[in-house]
Amino acid sequence: MSLALPSRRDEAWKYSDLARALSGHDLSSVAPARGGSVIASMARAFAEEERVLTIASRDGVHAVEHSLSHEARGAVTRIHVPALQAGMVVETIYGHLNLAAGLSEIRIEEGGALTRIVIQQDAQKAVSAEEIAQVALNEARVSVAAGGTFRQFVIAEGAKLARIETHVALDGEGGEVELNGVYMVREGRHADLTSTVTHQAANARTKQLIKGVARKGGRGVFQGRIVVPRGAQGTDARQYHRAILLEDGAEIDAKPELEIYADDVSCAHGNAIGALDADQLFYARARGIPEAEARALLIEAFLIEAIPEDLPQRDDLITRVQRWLQT
Amino acid sequence: MLELKDFRVSVGGAEIIKGVNLIAPSGEVHAIMGPNGSGKSTLSYALAGREGYEASGVAKLDGQDLLALAPEERAHKGLFLSFQYPVELAGVPALTFLKAAFNAQRKGRGEKEMAAPEFLKLVRSKAEALKMPQEMLKRGLNAGFSGGEKKRMEALQLSLFQPKLAILDETDSGLDIDALKIVADAVNATRAPDRTMLVITHYQRLLDFIKPDRVHVLARGRIAASGGPELALELERSGYDRYLEAA
Ligand SMILES: Nc1ncnc2c1ncn2[C@@H]1O[C@H](COP(=O)(O)OP(=O)(O)OP(=O)(O)O)[C@@H](O)[C@H]1O
Ligand SMILES: [Mg+2]
Repeated sequence: MSLALPSRRDEAWKYSDLARALSGHDLSSVAPARGGSVIASMARAFAEEERVLTIASRDGVHAVEHSLSHEARGAVTRIHVPALQAGMVVETIYGHLNLAAGLSEIRIEEGGALTRIVIQQDAQKAVSAEEIAQVALNEARVSVAAGGTFRQFVIAEGAKLARIETHVALDGEGGEVELNGVYMVREGRHADLTSTVTHQAANARTKQLIKGVARKGGRGVFQGRIVVPRGAQGTDARQYHRAILLEDGAEIDAKPELEIYADDVSCAHGNAIGALDADQLFYARARGIPEAEARALLIEAFLIEAIPEDLPQRDDLITRVQRWLQT
Repeated sequence: MLELKDFRVSVGGAEIIKGVNLIAPSGEVHAIMGPNGSGKSTLSYALAGREGYEASGVAKLDGQDLLALAPEERAHKGLFLSFQYPVELAGVPALTFLKAAFNAQRKGRGEKEMAAPEFLKLVRSKAEALKMPQEMLKRGLNAGFSGGEKKRMEALQLSLFQPKLAILDETDSGLDIDALKIVADAVNATRAPDRTMLVITHYQRLLDFIKPDRVHVLARGRIAASGGPELALELERSGYDRYLEAA
């Protein structure tokens, strides 16, 4: 049995037509993984081995940073955060392969903490919209035990199709999740940030701030689902998606979903897609800042709001945003 | 010197400024007063080059046609507008913004950019003169600032940029009594023989501090009267009724 690729007819992929993006690829060797998603199936089929990473805090306090680069077609990584340990992984998805699928299975035990940074890089800058062939797929499945913390920051520049999926189960009481991200797509690029957080236990917290920009011919997708079942009392969930269409012919699709079945919860969400603020732009230009520079200044300020202040890589991530704005 | 001849401005198809003639020589301060909605801000925005403000007629700064220029080019030529309602730029640290603007203006004039340490010193001394806490320079420009704080940030920019033409649109609104004095001092300190100022205000109070050479009354998009400083005192006594009837 070979893999059935989802197309726009599938609800979860309605903004990202994987079947179309992969037409012409030979996927006959990929068997559907039992109970696994299409990304997981591909990652398992392409990966030569399974990487296992166990996190141990330095001095029992400081997070140790691990780098995982997705240079092969497939990568499967198991990340285990034992109780009370803290760590950090930086996953980089390079743009040189026509198809790359990564799967990270993350288990955070009681009181453990993991920060995960995902950097999805555009193919070579010079590649034109017609030439760009890369399909970059990544999925993380995360379970967080009582008192555990999972923080994630994704920066995505898009590809022919780039999809970063994150699925978090808050299995124990008092868990915390932060799922922030930035996407920025130019002509011919498509970036899709899709996530679900399920509050299986009480008194857990989720906060999510995704910011995105798209230029002419670029497409951004945000799908964020937060599920709060009946038993998850005391849940605190906040989800915001804000995006700017930088030019005519840019496209951004958003599907925020809060499914709340518990009654004692505090939830807030917001979704706004608009244009760059004309008053701000005029103010900056009236002060002598040329239009292109003024736009870059404002877009940068808009995007980097989603990068948490206390992230050690914040400056590097800001530099990435600036570089994207300059090209 | 600012020179306006049959200057007209339409916004959204409606003519708001209906033929203004005005000469404000270098070294002079001209006050523009007039009822709410008479077009004072519209005139200011149009001179600064805001999109959607269709201007016609003549508007020249030191002989240079302003209307053909983009907003940033007007700033490079020395035009500065202190906004009636300054815009908030959350996420853009004030210092970053001021440096970008300062050096963009220099670059636009073909001058050398100022290095960071020197600029920092300059800003700090200007901020101090305006009794602004240095901490304000680290915050997002005007983000969450009080009305008065925003006006001080505008005054700081006036004294930093040293423009050829300063248009101060209700610089006094939102300022407390002490702040009014501080800002007025900063404005007075920037008076210079090669500088023209248009001070838009509703109140004589500001003109007690910043003595105008000429006062103009703008009513329904036209200059209904011009005179010396005594005109402002007369307006304070008798209001705008007679000018509105005439306009
Ligand atoms: N974008 C716009 N579209 C339509 N009418 C406008 C627009 N902007 C301003 N106007 C109108 O133009 C007129 C002049 O407005 P303006 O803001 O210039 O007045 P002002 O003299 O500055 O008033 P104030 O003293 O209250 O600040 C007003 O009647 C206003 O409603
Ligand atoms: Mg006004």
